[in-house]
Amino acid sequence: MAYPTATLDVIGLWTGWLLMLMIYSYPLYKENVTYRFAEHIFIGIFLAINLVVNFTNVIRICVTPLLGGDFMMIVPLVMGIMIYTMLIPEYRWVSRYPIAVLVGAGFGLGMRGVIKPSILDAIVSTITAPSTGAMMDWVNFLYIAVGLISSVMYFLLTYEHTGALQAPTRIGRLFIMIGLGAYFGNTVLFRFTMLTGRAQFFLQVLKIIPM
Amino acid sequence: MSNILKREAVFAVTGIVTVLMFVEYFFFPQDWIVASTIRNWAVIIYNISLGLGGVRLIMQHTMGTQRRRENWQFSVLFLVAFVIMLFTGLAGYLGTGVATSNGIYNWLFNNVYTPLGSTTYAITGFYIFSAAYRAFRARNVDAALMLIAGCFVILSNAPVGEVIWSGIPAIGEWFRFVGQVPGMRVFGVVGGLGTIAYGFRALLGKERGFYAGGAEE
Amino acid sequence: MSGQNIFDKLQNIDRRVFYWVLFITLMVPFIMPIGLPVKVVKNTRDLYEGVTGDNINPGDIAIMNFGYGVSAWSECAPGFTVCAKALLREGARIVFMGAHYDVELSYNKLRSEAAEDFATKQYGVDYVFLGYFAGGESAIAQLATDSWTVYPEDHYRTPVSEIPLMQDFHGWQDVAVVLSSDTGDVGSYFLRQWQGAHGTKLAEIGIAMNGSTDYPYYLAGNYFGLSIGSRGGAELEVLIGEPGEATTAMDSINASHILIVLAVILANVGYLVQRRQA
Repeated sequence: MAYPTATLDVIGLWTGWLLMLMIYSYPLYKENVTYRFAEHIFIGIFLAINLVVNFTNVIRICVTPLLGGDFMMIVPLVMGIMIYTMLIPEYRWVSRYPIAVLVGAGFGLGMRGVIKPSILDAIVSTITAPSTGAMMDWVNFLYIAVGLISSVMYFLLTYEHTGALQAPTRIGRLFIMIGLGAYFGNTVLFRFTMLTGRAQFFLQVLKIIPM
Repeated sequence: MSNILKREAVFAVTGIVTVLMFVEYFFFPQDWIVASTIRNWAVIIYNISLGLGGVRLIMQHTMGTQRRRENWQFSVLFLVAFVIMLFTGLAGYLGTGVATSNGIYNWLFNNVYTPLGSTTYAITGFYIFSAAYRAFRARNVDAALMLIAGCFVILSNAPVGEVIWSGIPAIGEWFRFVGQVPGMRVFGVVGGLGTIAYGFRALLGKERGFYAGGAEE
Repeated sequence: MSGQNIFDKLQNIDRRVFYWVLFITLMVPFIMPIGLPVKVVKNTRDLYEGVTGDNINPGDIAIMNFGYGVSAWSECAPGFTVCAKALLREGARIVFMGAHYDVELSYNKLRSEAAEDFATKQYGVDYVFLGYFAGGESAIAQLATDSWTVYPEDHYRTPVSEIPLMQDFHGWQDVAVVLSSDTGDVGSYFLRQWQGAHGTKLAEIGIAMNGSTDYPYYLAGNYFGLSIGSRGGAELEVLIGEPGEATTAMDSINASHILIVLAVILANVGYLVQRRQA
């Protein structure tokens, strides 16, 4: 994408740049009026986009088929509107029905879907011995097997971690800490990449680096 | 009767819908029209319900403006930005079927929403840096292990790790591709078991936190 | 104050100093780039090979899910762009969709980044943009059984019955591969409702944070490939031979990562010194 030349596009670019500085004035300086200004504009615009996009989506998936002859669509439409009774205290209980449908569908799908990838495949992968004879593969295999078993024991919360459970749960905790450390390392990459994008944008608008 | 409508009937709906999803999965190799219809309804209800948070926010800011609460001027700013974006977006949608066909909406979407959206989430990068400096201490064996794993993964994620020491990529990759696996896999396994347990509790009507008003009324 | 050593002072330093140091450190490598080589790891290579060569046939339908918004463009967009280019060059037909409100922006960005590849393709025949969907796991499950109920129209309000590509896409059985690029949960919905339930080939081009939780699934064979964050995006750019945004950002990533490790080491040295003194 080249540096824009059209007046409105250039104004837009600098507007975004200034808004970015307003937001960053909070961590880099202190909370101030410009930060609040940018923050409230963002929330207002974001909310409007939320409503516009969801409204158009409801028209697309419900109202259009309803007007096209699929009269069963009146049921989810009415149930969706029932959710807004949550705003009226004396009729709040009416909103429980559409929520019940959402919760039921969500749990039903989640429960049936989680069995294979999260439990069965994980266990099979853990107990499947390496096909090569390389020592490092076997070390890794044992590491993962022992690590998973002891980590799962750590999450056994119905028994106190004393006696025979003390050593394996302690080891499991260490494995979990290694995992969390690696997770932190990846989190750093994620957060810094987002900031990198902003730093790049800062320089691009000033034409210090090409767009 | 009204108590049954407010509680037991609700739990029954949850249970029936959950069971229908199971029946489809275990007894129908292709999809089942009943479960498919209910799923479609759930999608539509979900879409309609997404406006609820927005409505609450508008109510809150409108009341704040009316009652001249602290910083009410920012509430006015919020409402003005909201109204402009909403009406231009709807105008675009009603005109051509695509909201971004409206010039003002499209300009605001590209030049205000995009930089603000990116910037707001990127702020967490600052906080993770200061948090790492202030809080990441090797106080005991657990914290030291976490620290060592974290540092090696950080350095192996960046190509410069290999320049500093040739062993960093090897050790860092071991942490990324083997070391973290038990610790991360356990969350999947335990989370899966928890989902099943929690789902059964919801099916039996024991979990009431989802419903407005909870278990009372 | 007189009893304070350098480490005590460093402990109490204003956090805004850190923020400024970080912000400047991120900018300098863009002005003075170095360009260190990026090593490609197995999970990224498997992802690229899974969408190229003998693993994709001309005419195969691929779903590409924009599970990221504008905030994660620098993390996910480069890898996503490479995969889209690779699939288009193999002659696959792509169905684009997303669960973020700004999915249209992400799609437009992809179109501009891969303009040359899209120029030779026809909308509605070789690719289609279905737009935004909401509904969480229910929507993904419904997409697998009857996609036309989730998307009766595309993003531009054309009924799917009038789109040639959509005549061949009704559910999971019509899809050869799903590529999901996520900041949140949508990838895990595809994992449960598509890969787990029907065995559909699935890969993730996600943020680095999700890379930790997704890697065990790649090891278990649920994902055929995995691209982790901007580093994965840079590796994909190496594989396709076209350096892009992720490769450019790597210098900045290098500098910032060295900075945070130095900060952590400094903080711990100071902590150990203080503990000894106490």
